[in-house]
Formats: sequence, structure tokens, C-alpha cells
Amino acid sequence: MKKIRVLLVDDEQAFITTLAERLEIRGFEASAASCAEDAYVVVRSKKSPDVVVLDLKMPGVDGIDAMVAIKQFDPAIEVIILTGHGSTSDGIGGMKYGAFDYIMKPVDISELIVKIKQAYDKRYRQGKNRRLENDR
Amino acid sequence: MIGVLRKIFKYLIMEPSEAAESLTVHTRYKHFRRTLFIVMTAISMIPLIVTSVLSYYQYLSLMQKEAQNHLRWNAESANKTISSFVEELQAVIVFVSEQHSGDFFRDQQSLSSLFTQLKRKYPGVVDLGFINPEGVQETYAGPYNLRGKKYGDREWFLEATGRGVTISNVFLGYRKVPHFVIAISKKLQNTEDYWVLRVSIDAKTLDQFIGHIESEASDDIFLIDEAGVLQTTSRFYGAIIDKYPLTVHPDKSGSVIITVDKGESISTLKATSHIVGTPWYLILVKRGYTYGKNWIAFQIQLLIIGCFGASFALLVIIRTANILGERIRESDQKREAILSEVEHTSKLASIGRLAAGVAHEINNPLAIISEKTGLMRDILDLSADFPNKNKYYEQIDGTMDAVNRCKVITHRLLGFARRMDVNLESIRINEVVREVLSFLDKEALYRGIKFNLNLRDNLPNIKSDRGQLQQILLNIINNAIDVVDKGGAVSVSTSMRDAQTMQVDIKDDGPGIPPDIMKHIFEPFFTTKTDGEKKGTGLGLSITYGLVKKLGGEISVASIKDMGTTFTVLLPIELKAELERAE
Repeated sequence: MKKIRVLLVDDEQAFITTLAERLEIRGFEASAASCAEDAYVVVRSKKSPDVVVLDLKMPGVDGIDAMVAIKQFDPAIEVIILTGHGSTSDGIGGMKYGAFDYIMKPVDISELIVKIKQAYDKRYRQGKNRRLENDR
Repeated sequence: MIGVLRKIFKYLIMEPSEAAESLTVHTRYKHFRRTLFIVMTAISMIPLIVTSVLSYYQYLSLMQKEAQNHLRWNAESANKTISSFVEELQAVIVFVSEQHSGDFFRDQQSLSSLFTQLKRKYPGVVDLGFINPEGVQETYAGPYNLRGKKYGDREWFLEATGRGVTISNVFLGYRKVPHFVIAISKKLQNTEDYWVLRVSIDAKTLDQFIGHIESEASDDIFLIDEAGVLQTTSRFYGAIIDKYPLTVHPDKSGSVIITVDKGESISTLKATSHIVGTPWYLILVKRGYTYGKNWIAFQIQLLIIGCFGASFALLVIIRTANILGERIRESDQKREAILSEVEHTSKLASIGRLAAGVAHEINNPLAIISEKTGLMRDILDLSADFPNKNKYYEQIDGTMDAVNRCKVITHRLLGFARRMDVNLESIRINEVVREVLSFLDKEALYRGIKFNLNLRDNLPNIKSDRGQLQQILLNIINNAIDVVDKGGAVSVSTSMRDAQTMQVDIKDDGPGIPPDIMKHIFEPFFTTKTDGEKKGTGLGLSITYGLVKKLGGEISVASIKDMGTTFTVLLPIELKAELERAE
């Protein structure tokens, strides 16, 4: 079975590398980017992620703008918003711009995995529908 | 007056804090009220008093003038009457003397018959005498035995020989009876010598005549001579021949002189006029001329109007000063309450922001700790057994527990900073209260605490967040249960504050909250529960506060020592979703 490709974007390097490692252990193909620009590079590469876990507050380009840019490049990529603010309204705000879901820091790994899987399923279903439509 | 005005001005421009420094709150308003009262009284009373005094004196002088004019007019008419009386007498005697020669008068018989005729016509005539140039009364007709008496040195005799005719003042003479004399002199034929015809008239005649000139304008009317001897009886100053006790200012012109005499016990008005051709001065006396009916009526009116006006003004002033003082006190209190409310709210808001900031900053390293620890556990899971592996697990679990506790705290802090979702639904408030109380029933039963419910029926449903509402009520009721002693009671009542606001009161009969603690109860990490078992985080009420604000409501607390505490939560019937989003 194909591994789910996850891109973690957060300016807290220690956080994303550790989280990436933990996801790897759990059978994901995880990569980390510490800013929006690095994330764009990964998204445009051949190993474009299925799901992006995106921190809202980053120096430079912030999470929402990064998400909009990623969605513009490939609408099929699902984004899960990561918020350190404990604020659901930020998460809800993100969902308005097309985020799949949101999760609060500190992250409970099992909760994150459930959300990533749900996002991947959605992407997979939509891709299938799109293909069916194209076939018609 | 100026000092008082300055004081008031100073009070008005003084900053409230400054004013509070100089006076305690209570005396400040009392002082203000008193100053206001004094100033307003002065402002209204001074014109009233000035007007009253002015009109008093105006009217007084008017009355005086009127009395003076009246008296003057009376004096003039009395003067004329007396003059004409005297002139008539004089004219008769002049006529008689013109008709007859000196020899006729020298004859005793003809003199006596003339006297009888005169006496018949003028009963006041006492006697008639003929005096030869040597001053000796040659013939005499009358009741006294005065023939041969010498009058050569008498003033009237000298005056008569000089001027032809004279009227004497009243005197006693040889007969010792008051009378006056009209004397007429005639030249003896072919000589330079004068004989004199003398007519004595009883002073009583003059007295009666004067007595008949009755006048309302005067209280006394009498004649005096130049030396100040009374010529007629005076009501106030004595009988005929008595000395008039006051000085007269002789003025021979005949015009009336009005004098106001204040030296006597009652102010007295006097009109003095000389009766031309006589040695007499007519004096009219009006005593207490101010005591006329009009004057007394005016005084009473002035007094009544003044008293009525003054008491009415005082009443209005007292009422106004009280109302103004009360209004100012109320508005000051209101302003102070609003200020402290604003201060409190902004303090809590800034504490909230601070808490949120801290929570956010801690969340990131906390996330790293959480992930690192998680990774350690993952690695342990993947590793083969090694000595102390379980101990490592224990350490990791301990760290994770600590992380989770921190997580709860940071999430609560962020919750206090109003960062939680609101799920609006239609709620029956009484239902929520009952639900919350059902959570606490066991503990209440265990501690013997009674719940008193006073839930109003027919309350409208409110649109709010059920979970958060539960949390709010749970926090407050929980606190109430904690403070009441065994056997105490906690009352919950619901009602409508107004058409748009629902009110929930939670009252306990605990020890009450001291004022110094009251100020801080909504602040995060402020707790009074310091004993081990019941140790509080100090977040309960601050979260409650945040939640109530989030639901668009208000929370307030009132406490009386040893009587208990009442928390009042006001909730809008319909929470505006937009308002929530804006935050």
C-alpha cells in the first residue's frame, strides 16, 4: 500500500523534525519545512505531499497565505491547520479558506494520525470522482 | 459673599480627586449643599430685602410729605381764620374810634353805653378804657376797678401811640386774669399828644375760637407769643400764660414752617406760622404722624409679603440645594462605579491578553517536549528490552502527565482569554440549572447542604451555549457549596431583568467575601483555597468571567459579611453570533 505523504510546516524546527520522525515510525512518508517558501519547494517537487500540516503563525508568509498558495498550485492537497493559540476560531477561520481540519498544540499523535487519514481519504475519493468525471 | 462665591467656583473647577483629598466624601456634599444654600439665599434674599427697605422708606417719605402738606394746608387755613377774626375785632374798634372824638370817650357815661353796645355784640370784650397822653386811664367801663391805673410804661401803650393800632399778647395785668388788649391811639386836636382807646378781650375768647378750629390733620392747635408764652390752652404743653417748653423760630412773613421733631418720644410734626398784625404764632402739632391707618396696613402687607416671599424662597432653595446635592452625589457615585467597572474590566482584559500570550508562548516548547517525549516512547517501543526499560517508561509517562497538566492550564488560560467556540442553541435556563444541580446533588447531600430553587416559570428560551452555561453555573454553585458550612443553603433563582436580559442569582449563606478579596476574585490564579485538599487553581472564577463575557452577559457579585454572597449572572436572551465572530 502506498505510504501517505505528509508535509509538516512550522518554524519550530525541533517540533516538526521530531513529529516527522514519529510519523515515519507510524508508516507515513513525512517531510518537514520550517517556512512557507521551503514548503512551496516540497509541494512543487515530484514528491508533492498528500496532506500538509501547517502552523498558522510563522515569520514571513503566514499559514493562511501559505495554504492559499498551496491550494492554488494543487487544490487536491489537503491542509490541516496547526494552531498554538488554543483558539478554535483561528482553526475555523482556516477552514473557511479551505483547510480540511485543525488541531491544537501540543499535538496528540493519535488524534493527528486520525485527521491525516481522514484528509487523505477525502483526497483519494475526490481524485477518484474527478477521474470518473474525466472518463465520462 | 465674594468669598463664598469663590469657594463655590473653586469647588466646581476642582478635580474630584482633589476635592476628595480636601474633604471626606460625606462632608464634601454636606459642605456643597450648605454653600449652595447660603449663596442662593443671599442671591434671592438681598433683592427682596433691598426692595422691601426701599419701598418702606419710599412709602414712609410719601406719608410724611402727605402729612406735612395736610398740616401746612390746615395751618394756612387756621391762620387765615384767626387773622380774619382778629381783623374783624380790630376793625370794629377802629370804626368806633373813628366815629367819636376823644371827649366822647372821656365822658364816663358815653363810654359805659358804648361798652354795653360792644359787649352785646362781642361778649368776649371784658372792658373798655380811655387813657390820656400821660398814660393814666381816665375813664373805664368794665367789671374791674381800674380807673386811674397807669399804663404809660406798657408795651402795647407805647406801640399804640407809635403805630396807631396794636394788639397785645395775652397777659394778666392788674386784674390778674389772662386777657389781651386791642389799643388804638388818636392825636389830640392841636397837640402832639395821643390819647389811647383800649379794649380788653378775655383770653378765653381766643381760646374758644382756636378750640373751634378742629382739624383731623392736627392733634393740638394753640398760639404762643414771641417770648414763648402760651396764648391759648395747649393739649400737650400747658394752659394759658404757661411757658411753651420748646424754642420757636420766629418768622414774621406769615408763611408756614414745618418742623419734624424727633427729640420727643413720638416723632412730632409741627407747623408754625405768624399771624400777621398780631404778636402771635400759630402752632399746629401732629403727633405720631406715621401711625395712620394706611401706614399700618402697608406695614402689615409688607411684612406678610416679605415673610411669605422669604419662606417660599427658602423652601425652594432648600429643596433645590438638596436635589442638586443629591444629583451631584449620585452622578459622582455613578461615575466612580463606572470608572471602577471600566478599570476592573480593562484590568481583566489585559490580564487575559497576558495569559493568552503566555499560554501561546508556552504551548510551542510544550509541543516540542510533548513530541520529543513521544518520540522517546516510540523509540523505546521499537527497542529490545534492556535493563531499566520500564523505569524509562515511567519517566516518559511522568513527563507526559506533566505536559498534559500544562496543556490543561494553557487551554484554560486561553479559554479565559475568550478563545472558545460558541454553539448556539435554544435553551431553557431552568433546565440547565436543574442539570447542573443534579451533578452536585451527591456532594450537597453528603455535606448536608440544602438547595433552594426559586425558578420562575414561563421564562423565554435563551439562545446561548449550553455547555458553557453549564460550566458557568457549575463553577459558581461549586464555589457556593465550598463556602457554606454544614447545614447551610445555596439558593438559585431565575428571573427576567428586562425584556432582553435573563437574570440568574446564586446566593449562599456563607461567611461573605471581604472587600479586599472581592476586588480580585475574577483575576486568574487568585485563590483563597490554599489548604491541601481543596487547593484551587485560581482559574475557576476567571474562566467563568470569560465565559459570561463570551456569552454577551455580565457577572457581578455582592457580599455582606456573615450574611453570604450573591453572584448575579445576566444573560442576553439572544446572543448575537456576529458579535462572537468579531472577537
